[in-house]
Amino acid sequence: MPTLTIDNQTISVPEGKTILEAAEALGIMVPHFCYHKELGAVGACRMCAVTVHTGPMPGVKMACLIAVEEGMVVTTGDEASVAFRERVGEWLMLNHPHDCPVCDEGGECQLQEMTISSGHGIRRYQGEKGTYTNQDLGPFIAQEMNRCIQCYRCARTYKDYCGGRDFGVMGSRNRVFFGRFKEGMLESDFSGNLVDLCPTGVFTDRTFRFKSRAWDLEQADSVCPQCGVGCATIPGGRLRELQRVRSGDNPLVNATFICDRGRFGSGYANHPERPRQARQEDQTVSITAALTALETQIRATVKQHGPEAVLLVGSDRASLETNWLLQRTAKYFGCRVPVLNAHRQRHQTAQMAAFDLSERLASLQDIRSSDLVLVCGVDPLAEAPLLALALRQAVRKGGRVVVYDPRPVELPCDADRVAVSPLALQELLADGGVEGRHLCDLLSQAKNPMIVAGADLLGLAGLQNIRTWAEKTSNEERPCLVYPVLAGPNSFGTALLSLPEQDDLLTRLDSGKVKMLVCVDADPLLEAPEGERFAAALTRLEQLVVLDYLPTSLSRHANLFIPTCPPVEDSGTFINNEGRLRRFQRVLKPGLSLARTAAGEHPPREFSLDTPGSDPQPAALLLQRLIGQEQTLTELHRQLVLEQPRLASLVKLKAGEAGPRVVPAVARPQSLDPLPEQPAQTLELVVSPARYGGDLFSRYAPKLEPRKRQPYFYLHPDELQAHGLKDGDAAVVETDFGSFTLPVRSQPDMALGCVLVENSEAFPQLIPGAGLGYCVISAGGTNE
Amino acid sequence: MTPIELQTTSHLLDQQVLAEFIRHAGEIEHPREMIIDVLRAIQLHHGWVPDEGVELTASILGLTPVEVEEIATFYDKIFRRPVGRFVIHLCDSVCCWTRGADEIAAHLQKTLNIEFGQTTADGLFTLLPSCCLGCCGIAPAVMIKQQFYGPLTPEKVDELIATLRQEGSA
Amino acid sequence: MSQTTQLLFKNRVPGKTVFFKDFCANGGYQGLKTAIQTMSPLEIRDLVKAAALRGRGGAGFPTGVKWGFFPADKPGIKYLVCNCDEMEPGTYKDGVLLGADPHQLVEGMILSAFALQTQVGYIFIRYAYEKQAENLRRAIAEATQAGYLGKNILGSGFDFELHVHGSAGRYILGEETALLNGLEGIRPNPRSKPPFPAVRGLFGQPTTVNNVETIANIPHIVTGGAQWFKDLALTPDGSGTKLFGLSGHLNRTECFELPVGISLREVVETYGQGMWKNKQFKACLPGGASTPYLTREHLDVALDFASLEKVGSRFGTAGVTAFDDDTCMVAVTLNLIRFFARESCGWCTPCRDGLTMVRWLLEMLESGQGTPEHLEMLKDQLKNISGKSFCALAEGAMGPVAGLLTHFEQEIVDHIKGGRCPFCK
Repeated sequence: MPTLTIDNQTISVPEGKTILEAAEALGIMVPHFCYHKELGAVGACRMCAVTVHTGPMPGVKMACLIAVEEGMVVTTGDEASVAFRERVGEWLMLNHPHDCPVCDEGGECQLQEMTISSGHGIRRYQGEKGTYTNQDLGPFIAQEMNRCIQCYRCARTYKDYCGGRDFGVMGSRNRVFFGRFKEGMLESDFSGNLVDLCPTGVFTDRTFRFKSRAWDLEQADSVCPQCGVGCATIPGGRLRELQRVRSGDNPLVNATFICDRGRFGSGYANHPERPRQARQEDQTVSITAALTALETQIRATVKQHGPEAVLLVGSDRASLETNWLLQRTAKYFGCRVPVLNAHRQRHQTAQMAAFDLSERLASLQDIRSSDLVLVCGVDPLAEAPLLALALRQAVRKGGRVVVYDPRPVELPCDADRVAVSPLALQELLADGGVEGRHLCDLLSQAKNPMIVAGADLLGLAGLQNIRTWAEKTSNEERPCLVYPVLAGPNSFGTALLSLPEQDDLLTRLDSGKVKMLVCVDADPLLEAPEGERFAAALTRLEQLVVLDYLPTSLSRHANLFIPTCPPVEDSGTFINNEGRLRRFQRVLKPGLSLARTAAGEHPPREFSLDTPGSDPQPAALLLQRLIGQEQTLTELHRQLVLEQPRLASLVKLKAGEAGPRVVPAVARPQSLDPLPEQPAQTLELVVSPARYGGDLFSRYAPKLEPRKRQPYFYLHPDELQAHGLKDGDAAVVETDFGSFTLPVRSQPDMALGCVLVENSEAFPQLIPGAGLGYCVISAGGTNE
Repeated sequence: MTPIELQTTSHLLDQQVLAEFIRHAGEIEHPREMIIDVLRAIQLHHGWVPDEGVELTASILGLTPVEVEEIATFYDKIFRRPVGRFVIHLCDSVCCWTRGADEIAAHLQKTLNIEFGQTTADGLFTLLPSCCLGCCGIAPAVMIKQQFYGPLTPEKVDELIATLRQEGSA
Repeated sequence: MSQTTQLLFKNRVPGKTVFFKDFCANGGYQGLKTAIQTMSPLEIRDLVKAAALRGRGGAGFPTGVKWGFFPADKPGIKYLVCNCDEMEPGTYKDGVLLGADPHQLVEGMILSAFALQTQVGYIFIRYAYEKQAENLRRAIAEATQAGYLGKNILGSGFDFELHVHGSAGRYILGEETALLNGLEGIRPNPRSKPPFPAVRGLFGQPTTVNNVETIANIPHIVTGGAQWFKDLALTPDGSGTKLFGLSGHLNRTECFELPVGISLREVVETYGQGMWKNKQFKACLPGGASTPYLTREHLDVALDFASLEKVGSRFGTAGVTAFDDDTCMVAVTLNLIRFFARESCGWCTPCRDGLTMVRWLLEMLESGQGTPEHLEMLKDQLKNISGKSFCALAEGAMGPVAGLLTHFEQEIVDHIKGGRCPFCK
């Protein structure tokens, strides 16, 4: 660890760190543009000049490029560096249009800050300014090239970090342009990061354009709920509207990047159909009245029919606190334990992750620096987009990615891809064979091996074999870690809270003993397989109670409905795929946005003392009120930790922190479903979440419409031919869950012997993660 | 974005040349190193590189159009806009300047009745300023179709233009 | 007239290109044979070091030292790249050499490749030198035919393949790392150093990049020996001969092979045959557009690396561009800055925007709209651009500005005072 002196302060930093990083560690801000901690240093902007007084060539140097050396003496405020930085500030502003008053970057513009910190203030250059014609880059990103200072961060973000190939640097000299070959929507699933990474107003969030000044936004550290990765986000709201989401910074998870689904998929919070009032049968009621009714009904039902009669249901998108309070509520009323996840198989695999794998969980940061990642049964861009970016970083550093999956898995990086059917993948993992042994050898020989395991596709049996592989290929020097890809933002937490081997939702419903079903932030119709069986069970109920914030069909069927709040209107905790506690903090209070109540007028013409649409309350709060035990979050956490010592760090956890891991646990035995035999003449059925619209949130996110795809049955061209089908034909697929008609599409990169269909709002009937399934495809039907 | 599909015929390249590029790209480890070769070949055949030329290059080399455009727009001698049959690159660097390049520039503009960056109405000539052509010994000089002409005087320019006009109308 | 031994130009016949037969008839490929059959790669590298050959592409870095950094013994693919992107105004010597005698370079490439144990070579040649590229392609074909290129060269077990790679017209490609990017087909911005090309160069492999003239000298060093080569220079610090490209206001603007250390006066008066139109010598660029001006007081300076550094200029490429006493040095500098600003790759701020600023200041001054503040700003730009840009382009661009401010500040003041360019009639 070399020790150096910067501005008379001494610090020791690890070998290889730069002067800029050492200065930052000392709290000395050296102005910079092109340097970014995730993108690295390229020495282009020359803003971070400091004076190095030691060594063979003392003088003004770029702090981002010079590695620290023992005994180095550096000043940042000396005359030469200050004068040079002022010149850089002046040069960068030569062409700038000075349009700050109308620029959306205003208030969070690094160019403003750095120009001021460079000392440049008065314009001396009177020559011609360069101007550009902007491109239409689609609905997400607005471009205003005249503001560009050519720091190249956008290209380094889009191309280098995110692997996008439809954006680049054109022209040269003082005429450099950053954009697309031709106008059109940016294709990368990470395009929104341009907004966060651009230090000035060239790339701004088009969906947020001219809506608010950054300083007027209500913002807080939050966690994206749209998959199990648990990315740090900073949503921003104003006038009761969630107006934008930008990336937070979690070096262990998403670094400073988020996917477009998370960034532009937040429309559910202000969805026009979002239910905002409690309702009993057809009558609007107050929240208090609804809670009283609920309490009365639960007591009466338990009293009349016994503890089995009231079934409480949580979910993997409900917070840790909500799920735990459900358990407490059940105890309070003397009901049987709740079902915390309606999707039985997902709940099982999540328990596998939360218990059996808890000692060897990889973080995304681990994956970013792995030399070998075996990706098994995961389509990262659909199931955990930031995982795709992590894999890309591994490859950029020389690592290798091997993918085994039936789907045409696209990645923003080079990967060795083996298209293999789900059954064949199960067999490979169970039996190994030559290929399995080869893969295990590769893992054994790697310096930093990781296995990414898709819970939906692999199921419990597959995950158990993955665990065996990971154990087998670990050695004394380093473990082989596993990154399980679970479905929901809190799949892990929900599983961790659950008791072992409880009957699943449908078994309990089918027992006939359940008279009253209470679904909290859960819709088993959309989120669990066998929807028809569930729907049939609903008809046998006396009472359906739904607490939710999404306008799902289940909420419309409820006898009693109470509106809840999405994470942006709540403070709570999720546990992500890697077993990391992720705290989110309330960003804004519930209420109908002013944009709607005032019909576009501002200021609004009608005034009232109450806030329209402000009835919804976080589910956790409603449950506390229901059982008459309202507590602060800290008090609640203290009690939770008493029951769940694995969550010990919950009490001190703060929003915006990387988040600690849960305490590892011993394996939890679970009974395996037998692998169903493949009937003759059938194909394997692969149900995958759509990249956009696969998660429930993005179905209620109007901004994401341009990225959504029509549903198809995808088959390998040979398979199409074998079944007498051609691209675009309508086909009927008979499954255990019913018959469906969709057009077929040829997909040469997928496994033979499979039919792939994507679950989305356009095709919600089949749910991923339901286990191995088979189907028969035939021509016919009409395109729906 | 995935690279665009391979085009095996194009009006922008001779069939044989295109086939040779495709073959060569398939053989070498880094086909991308051929970008300039392909762009120059398209330009030689077509006069300039239209959007389809960028796309064709991308298709041959397994790239996306913007990855080719990044290169095409960097180099001065790749034309992404239509040019005349004869592109006159007049050196405006210091050696030619000392020997009267300004006078030649004025004379060329007057004779052709165009400014720098423009093409004559008959589509024969485009006049472009160029950095040093590497023929400082024969300053002032121009380059036309990778041939140098110099030292130039207004009279020699007239002769040269006349010869080229004749060649162009033949 | 000094005694001038001709090495690179020994076969040169104006208006003609020498190919294989004539090249061999005059001792061509003897150096290669000698080296491959009697010397080890290390011996050749040591010989080049002993000959004190300095790079002929402008920077003048000792070739032997550069080669000393090269991991010749490291297994795996390594590259030798010849930089023939000769685009600095006033520099045309490589073009003349390859127009006259392409085998000089081909032999040098094979020999250098053997010394460095590289398996693949590229000659990166500028767009305008299409004729020279054709010459090289023919020479490579001839050498391959003769067994000097390809597999198992001269039975040594050494393999070497050589390619000619074209460009499309940008000066920045002459910067060695930008050239490597250009070769790879990515945007030719210079790369950050370290890592140096010897460690991670073309396609990430060890690479050395040398100028045409540098490489063409290698066979002659092998044939004649290190001391003989050193002694060709007229000054003790110098070594070898040098191709001098004469241009500007001289009567004879041609390229000559002259001993290193020859005086500026002899170059101007003897080889350049004095000033054009009987005017007086005022100043010159001694080694290409990026070298600070020499003036009348420097006429007796020896043209070699050390002597020119002593007088605040650089030997560069020895492209001597002379200016007569009717020339406005502000205008010359403006012309040069326009070149450099236009050739900036757009990567770093001092070059991309700083040169734009300098160009504007010179335009103000030259057009008579300048003020004393503009002159101060110009000085300030010089101070802040020099040594602080990403690569040497902006650094080089400031060479003439430095020369202008050192030797001709009064001319700037005259422009300001008169409100016009005093040289404009």
